[in-house]
Amino acid sequence: MSAELPVIAASCHDPKDFKSELKPIWCPGCGDFGVLQALYRALAAIGRPPHEIAFVSGIGCSSRIPGYTTAYGFNTVHGRCLPIAQGIKLANPELLVLGAGGDGDGFSIGGGHVPHAVRRNIDLTYIVMDNQIYGLTKGQLSPTSKPDLKTVTSPHGALEAPVNPLLYLLAYGCGFVAQGTPADMAGLTQILEDAIRYPGFSFVNVQSPCVTFGQDDWQVKQHRAAMKPLASLNHDPTDLLAAMDKARSYGSELYTGVLYKNPSPPPTYDQLVRERQKALGASNPSPSRILDAFLQK
Amino acid sequence: MLDDLVFGMAGSGGDGIVSAGEFLISSAAAEGYHAIMTKSFGSQIRGGESSCRVRVSTKPIGTSNGTLDVAVALNWEDFLRFGAELPVGGHTVVIYESKTGVAPDKLPLVGVTPADVRPVPIGELSKKSAGSDKAKNTVILGLLAGWFGVARESILRMVKKKLAKKGEDVVAAAERSFQAGIEYALANPLKRDMRMSPPKDPPGQKLLTDGNDMCAAAAIFAGCRFYSGYPITPSTEIMQLLSREIWKYGGTVLQAEDEIAGIGAAVGASFAGLKALTATSGPGMSLKTEMIGLASIAELPLVIVNVQRGGPSTGLPTKPEQADLYQACFGTHGDSVRPVLAPTTVADTFAVTVEAFNLAEQYQTPVIILSDQEIGQRKETVDPIDTSKFEIVNRLQPNSAELEDYARFRFTESGISPLSKPGMQGGNYLCAGIEHNEHGAPTASGAMHAKMNDKRFHKLAPLVHRKDLFHIDGNANAPIALVSWGSTAGVCREAYEIAKAEGVGVKLLIPILLFPIAEEIYREFFRSVKAGLVVEGSHQGQFFRLLRMQVDLPAGLRSFCKSGANPFSPREVARELRHAMMALQSGKADTLQPQE
Repeated sequence: MSAELPVIAASCHDPKDFKSELKPIWCPGCGDFGVLQALYRALAAIGRPPHEIAFVSGIGCSSRIPGYTTAYGFNTVHGRCLPIAQGIKLANPELLVLGAGGDGDGFSIGGGHVPHAVRRNIDLTYIVMDNQIYGLTKGQLSPTSKPDLKTVTSPHGALEAPVNPLLYLLAYGCGFVAQGTPADMAGLTQILEDAIRYPGFSFVNVQSPCVTFGQDDWQVKQHRAAMKPLASLNHDPTDLLAAMDKARSYGSELYTGVLYKNPSPPPTYDQLVRERQKALGASNPSPSRILDAFLQK
Repeated sequence: MLDDLVFGMAGSGGDGIVSAGEFLISSAAAEGYHAIMTKSFGSQIRGGESSCRVRVSTKPIGTSNGTLDVAVALNWEDFLRFGAELPVGGHTVVIYESKTGVAPDKLPLVGVTPADVRPVPIGELSKKSAGSDKAKNTVILGLLAGWFGVARESILRMVKKKLAKKGEDVVAAAERSFQAGIEYALANPLKRDMRMSPPKDPPGQKLLTDGNDMCAAAAIFAGCRFYSGYPITPSTEIMQLLSREIWKYGGTVLQAEDEIAGIGAAVGASFAGLKALTATSGPGMSLKTEMIGLASIAELPLVIVNVQRGGPSTGLPTKPEQADLYQACFGTHGDSVRPVLAPTTVADTFAVTVEAFNLAEQYQTPVIILSDQEIGQRKETVDPIDTSKFEIVNRLQPNSAELEDYARFRFTESGISPLSKPGMQGGNYLCAGIEHNEHGAPTASGAMHAKMNDKRFHKLAPLVHRKDLFHIDGNANAPIALVSWGSTAGVCREAYEIAKAEGVGVKLLIPILLFPIAEEIYREFFRSVKAGLVVEGSHQGQFFRLLRMQVDLPAGLRSFCKSGANPFSPREVARELRHAMMALQSGKADTLQPQE
């Protein structure tokens, strides 16, 4: 048995420090490669060593991403990234906690967890690689697929409307909402870094095209032509209504950058937990006396 | 003088019947009696009928089930709604509100003539002594103290303490009502003296608690510092106690958005290095199974409590059943194994919970505690527990040499691999629900999958030799076996004593470890057995069938089971044992087939 090992606060500033030996299973040209590269750079800019990072995901192509980093990774089950990520952060708030997954993981099977993660406001960053299709299972309809899209599970065209991740997150009350694309690596890197630095729950939707099952007319090349960096549009990221207005056009416009950043972030849940533990733990009770409360005199 | 009395009381919601029961058991406990109390309510959220049973004894007891010695009815309609939960027999003393207008020889009890019937103007005594009928329950306590001599001083002390904040007038009124009850009892003696013997144990040493609080307290004691879950009857008190207390010990409670998130956050906390707990009941357990599989393959310690209620689906939310055993053992897809433990009393819930955390930590596995509504919510006296005798196990962590070349799932002789946690330099690994190699890298190799399955099963192999997780009593050569688990085990412990005293050659086995099946321990136990019973509260007799799956059972061993919410009494189990013995004597045991 070993004694508790000290956390070494050495900093790591080389993107290579975060790259693992595992070779991604992604198809050549997949948008997720760009997300991974941008993440290496963002983490290097932040400088926390990999062993102080917990990187959690669900199931799907993009959910393989923790294994491609040198962080502590947890590739969980479909849709359950957020509950597990929150448990980790509450258990050890010193950790930098990242969550990632696809649009199906985050907005279909795991959709019920998102509003609660937002309202709890535990300090972690959730990255959704949104490709509007189920890639790992070979091309079925996803919750962000376009209306009428024909896929193997919607051969006659989709009947339902897609979800709008940006608008959902803003409406849930998320303090940091951004969108990026691998077509703009510098911008994506900056967004990820800003999201991680935001003290509270932060959300990044990355338009990460699927080269194999995605739409041919919505690949990185088209992103490059279509993207509208918010910074160039005089968008005020502290203006929630302006952010919601931009978010409404999800699916037709590709805005990139920070849509909303709460200028005065409230205390995080994990901070409040520490404060409560400190306040209530002041009496420092002994666990071996726990039964005394039941003594009947 | 009597050593043992079972009281049963029923009334309308506002009558304070349950709080009368609570005063009775608190006072009995304070004086040194052994006691058990169960409550039962109608389905209304407020009001409606309510009842309680309180058994008080000078000796250790395992149940409050069985025919009442004393029945108290504030009105007959409410009393009769509880049916088999408040059975009246030929030896019962029946006390009821005379205002109901029912004649003592015309009680609405079919086929039974109670030994002594006492119509009492309970409401009137309350009005006279306290000025309103709000003191009916205090009058009843006075009657019980007067007629049965139970805990007279301490009841009054407790009532006064409880009412102190309501002002001197209220306390004085309560005192008068209590006295009015006593005086009525003394002025109208019972047909026979039914006063209880004084307790054998010293006063002021017994704990009074229920299984859910015991479980929560044991979790804190065992080092649990993270709870997440979703409220569900009848398990919620576990979460409630932890929500009040765990912070003081540096822990956290998270009320999750659903059952899946509840167990999910606990899995995350365990990955991050904390001992974690989640508790639920059947419907929640159904939702949690995916995470049980994840914790199994990711080899993460986790304790899951299922306080069973009647099922399937919503079932009987407020009544006990033992029909989630299959789910506990097999729930989740794939080959997986996880220890399943069952407490049998409020008292042993403490040790069982500590054991569950120890096993989870030692073997890096989810562990399920199968409690049930009866144990979870009944109040019971518990003899002092010496917490210093418990060993607390913590997970095996990698040492610095192991961290030089760390492999999270390294194949070892025991199957247990050192477990790092985020923050530990060199311990970085990929934890996953996907099959993996020693380093945690995902794999689809059949050979690796087989090796990993073998590792995950092999590490639990020593568990089935843990004889201390089985309570075995009686002559090793006895031909008749009595086997039971969970809350019915308390009934069976008493049935065993009754049968033994009647000369039945019986021995008793109560497993705390239900799964994996300890084949050798059962084989050895059943070697001498020709006939017997496996007693449990499920329609199918799930434990009996589980045993039959893996152990060659004697032909005369049969399942004695009932759907949940149909309590067993020690006498009926003893009667079945007697029948088994008689069948054996007449040479018929070989033809006794397991009951379908």
